Amino acid sequence: MKTPLEILKEKKDAAEKHLKEQGYFSKKRVYVGMATCEIAAGSKEVMEEFENAKRSGLDIYLSQKGCAGRCHVEPTVEVIDPEKGSVLYTQVDPKKAKEIIQKHIIGGEPLAEGEK
Amino acid sequence: MSEKKLHNRSFEVFGKSKFFASQLRIALRNCGYIDPENLDDYLNVRGFEALAKVLTGMKSEDVIAEIKKAGLRGRGGAGFGSGLKWELVAREKSDQKYVICNADEGDPGAFMDRSIIEGDPFTVLEGMAIAGYAVGSDKGIVYIRAEYPLAITRLEKAIDAARKANLLGNNILGSKFSFDIEIRLGAGAFVCGEETALMQSIEGHRGMPRPRPPYPSASGLFCKPTLINNVETWANVPVIIVEGSQWFASVGTEKSKGTKVFALAGKITNTGLVEVPMGTTLRHVIFDIGGGIPKGKNLKAVQTGGPSGGCIPVELIDTPIDYDSLAKVGSIMGSGGMIVIDEDSCMVNIAKYFLEFTQSESCGKCTPCREGTKRMLEILTRITEGQGKEGDIEKLERLGNTIKKASLCGLGQSAPNPVLSTIRYFRNEYEDHIKNKKCTAGACSKMIRFEINDKCIGCGACYETCKFDAIEMI
Repeated sequence: MKTPLEILKEKKDAAEKHLKEQGYFSKKRVYVGMATCEIAAGSKEVMEEFENAKRSGLDIYLSQKGCAGRCHVEPTVEVIDPEKGSVLYTQVDPKKAKEIIQKHIIGGEPLAEGEK
Repeated sequence: MSEKKLHNRSFEVFGKSKFFASQLRIALRNCGYIDPENLDDYLNVRGFEALAKVLTGMKSEDVIAEIKKAGLRGRGGAGFGSGLKWELVAREKSDQKYVICNADEGDPGAFMDRSIIEGDPFTVLEGMAIAGYAVGSDKGIVYIRAEYPLAITRLEKAIDAARKANLLGNNILGSKFSFDIEIRLGAGAFVCGEETALMQSIEGHRGMPRPRPPYPSASGLFCKPTLINNVETWANVPVIIVEGSQWFASVGTEKSKGTKVFALAGKITNTGLVEVPMGTTLRHVIFDIGGGIPKGKNLKAVQTGGPSGGCIPVELIDTPIDYDSLAKVGSIMGSGGMIVIDEDSCMVNIAKYFLEFTQSESCGKCTPCREGTKRMLEILTRITEGQGKEGDIEKLERLGNTIKKASLCGLGQSAPNPVLSTIRYFRNEYEDHIKNKKCTAGACSKMIRFEINDKCIGCGACYETCKFDAIEMI
């Protein structure tokens, strides 16, 4: 009989495979903060912006995330490039989201951000 | 299976900016790092590994011993040893035992429990399931306030997903252990965060505390042995199991192990959630992580523990944050609210604000809390309106100490703390209000007077703009 750890390992492998199929490990990953606080700061519009871009063909892995605790700079967006690492964007509005899509995701050049 | 550590993983994404550099994230490890509604994401960060480990090769005594060795203390406020609590429940013999997650976060300005549930709901479920195994319970209940709709939705989705994956329910992961969790909504009464009142509320009664003993570990929900812990405590459990009690116990101070999450608010540049090792000084949290006070103002005091805590003056800013040090300076760890107060704030007014809150949230069952807080508030209101009398301070102290000693539950026992601690450290401000009818911070509006001095040339600008026709042309 399989032990719980072995059963869990199977589940984990399945989860990894599932994530892989969705491009989790290969595409640029975009995380939009979607906790109550982030939504109050306007992250829903930002999410819509990325969703629209994805619908019209932008090849990214788009996901929501919880609150990282940086209330003073919300809404936050993270763009994680499997090769180049992550870039944090703060106080993102739909306009800035468009810029991120154009310059960073399509153009490959991250926007300048001060340390927050 | 990936062997990457659980804690601090999120810094791979966040980097080491000043805000994050000296934080240590255990309870918040996945907040802002994974998709809270995706079980795949949680499994990918070694989720449910702790539960599987426990089910595979640990006896319930081993689990309790691990938690005890880790030195985990309750993160809800009182700081009771979690391992001991688990042991007490495990020892009881009963046909039914309950495991409860207290997510009735009521302190004004505190939001760490909401953030954990919204950012990483699975970890809470996993922690509760581990405890269920350790104490011999098959039923978990999350008591969460109805004001947290998004947290509730995410929790519901997480429970559903976990059930479908056989991570909750019958014979979890092919073992003999069964455990299921359901959600109960609270109506948002502050007193329902108190464990006995919380259980009354789950039972369908009015949320009022009852005297202890019997403690919930012996007779709790529906008179059955009950283990109740706070959200943040649950979030620590999987890490202790996976990374070991030895590692966990190496973080923090001698008597307070691990980390604590604080909700930084008030007059501070970087408001937000911070998780730091126990023993970090207030100065470090406020000036290094929090970025100091905005507009070049000076720090005056820090209020920890919300309405049940006390104000710590700037002179004691090097106090390390742990249960005992905070208690020594007249405050409490509480659930982790940290409100920063600058020189523009009046301490009497702040004490009044907190007392207004506890007074209106007092359930009214015991007289010291019901009547005492009311009288204290009357005196404080009088003082802030310039009607303070000689002897008021002493009366507040006497009343406060009586309420602390005689109240039935934690709400009353801690309600006078903001007043007593501000009297202890800012007595001169109280005296100024009473004797000189003066509020130096200019916050008590009823005490401010305006005078026209000799520099007036009669330009009439005030006559033009006065909304109340208070300036007359003669």
